[in-house]
Amino acid sequence: MAQSTDVFVVVPIEMDPTTKAIQALPSSNDPLLARELEALNNLHRTLKSVPEITNGIPPPPTSVGPKRSALIERMRQTGNSAFKKKNYSEAVDLYTHAITMALTRPPWEPSALLRDELHQLYANRAQAHIGINNWPEALADVNASIDLKRVGNPKAHWRKGKCLKEMGRHEEAKEALEFGLEFGNDTELAHMLKEVNETLSKRQ
Amino acid sequence: MVKLSIIAPLVYIVVLVGTLAVFSSLYRKRKAKKAASLEPWFGPHYSRDIYLTLLHQENPKVPDSILKAALVRRATEDIRRIVTIRQAKGSLQQLLQRGSIGDDLWTRFTVAEAEIEEGEAREKLIAVAQQELKDVAMEANGFGSEWAASIFQSAHEIVQATKIRERAAEVAEQAAAERVWWNEKRERASRELLGENSDEDGVLVESSGSRGAARPGTTTQRKGKNAT
Repeated sequence: MAQSTDVFVVVPIEMDPTTKAIQALPSSNDPLLARELEALNNLHRTLKSVPEITNGIPPPPTSVGPKRSALIERMRQTGNSAFKKKNYSEAVDLYTHAITMALTRPPWEPSALLRDELHQLYANRAQAHIGINNWPEALADVNASIDLKRVGNPKAHWRKGKCLKEMGRHEEAKEALEFGLEFGNDTELAHMLKEVNETLSKRQ
Repeated sequence: MVKLSIIAPLVYIVVLVGTLAVFSSLYRKRKAKKAASLEPWFGPHYSRDIYLTLLHQENPKVPDSILKAALVRRATEDIRRIVTIRQAKGSLQQLLQRGSIGDDLWTRFTVAEAEIEEGEAREKLIAVAQQELKDVAMEANGFGSEWAASIFQSAHEIVQATKIRERAAEVAEQAAAERVWWNEKRERASRELLGENSDEDGVLVESSGSRGAARPGTTTQRKGKNAT
């Protein structure tokens, strides 16, 4: 950005007259430029695909299309009832579906909403994976859930401890549980930490 | 003798000051040259260049809808740079204090900071950054009344959403890696159990070894034995 404000570098690009996609000229082979152009074309396509947008301008992030939120919520509820019936792999599929729907939200919608939906869905899917002893998959899911929301997410911290414990990684489980307890006391977290500590002291 | 005692200290002082002056000027010149040649913290601003290139393309003219999308991309990159600098500042300062990063990286960073936000010295660069945000706001208002009020908000959400999506993309990868580890661990455990009972079962060891590759030393040995 050290360049002056009133000059710019002309980049070797052109518009495909039929598809209206912007593409790099064949002579250019700059991967970064290609990536930026792909992002631009994707954004343009997304803007066009939303019927509420008539002027090509993304609406301010104060309102969201209610349809998608309702769909995601319904998918999550269906997943929850499958989980209650112990149809764990069905629940995994339903949660996966809901995650995909959340991830394909238009990017200009409030990101706090996306974060909220995803941390919950990943924690739920982890629990379904735990139901069928899929510890590695469950661990990857809770890691994401915790990265998205550390505070006020004790279930995810507990499930992380559980996965690591079941895979015999007691030291890591101890660390995960202690980390979870940093964000507020939780009896179930403390209980599992006690169990893990007992196993560790027996080993020595 | 008297003359000498006056000239000697004078000469001494002149030589000393002269040397210091020469050294100082050389040092400063070298430092300035080095600062000038440092790679900028951020790479080229592609989305700005793309927007302006498209704006000036005549044959055929680029439709407004694409220009608007390109302007959103440009605002997004501006916001990403500002956010990156804000987040990097605290941790970089800490690292510098601990001596974990060299002065070189620090200089590059402060130059970048001045480019986009209020810094201390580089007023010219600050002007560039402020001008960039102003330019985007002006272009936005040219497309739709009051768009300038929300374009940076939208850009901010896009930056955040991109980060969240990047994190989400890692989930499948991590799950696959953990799965490989876990399968190997279980195989190793069952092999150890079997190994105690039937050590000469070469076929079993080979087949499980080639999949898991957990104990490469052992497997190659067994394989060799089988081949001969």
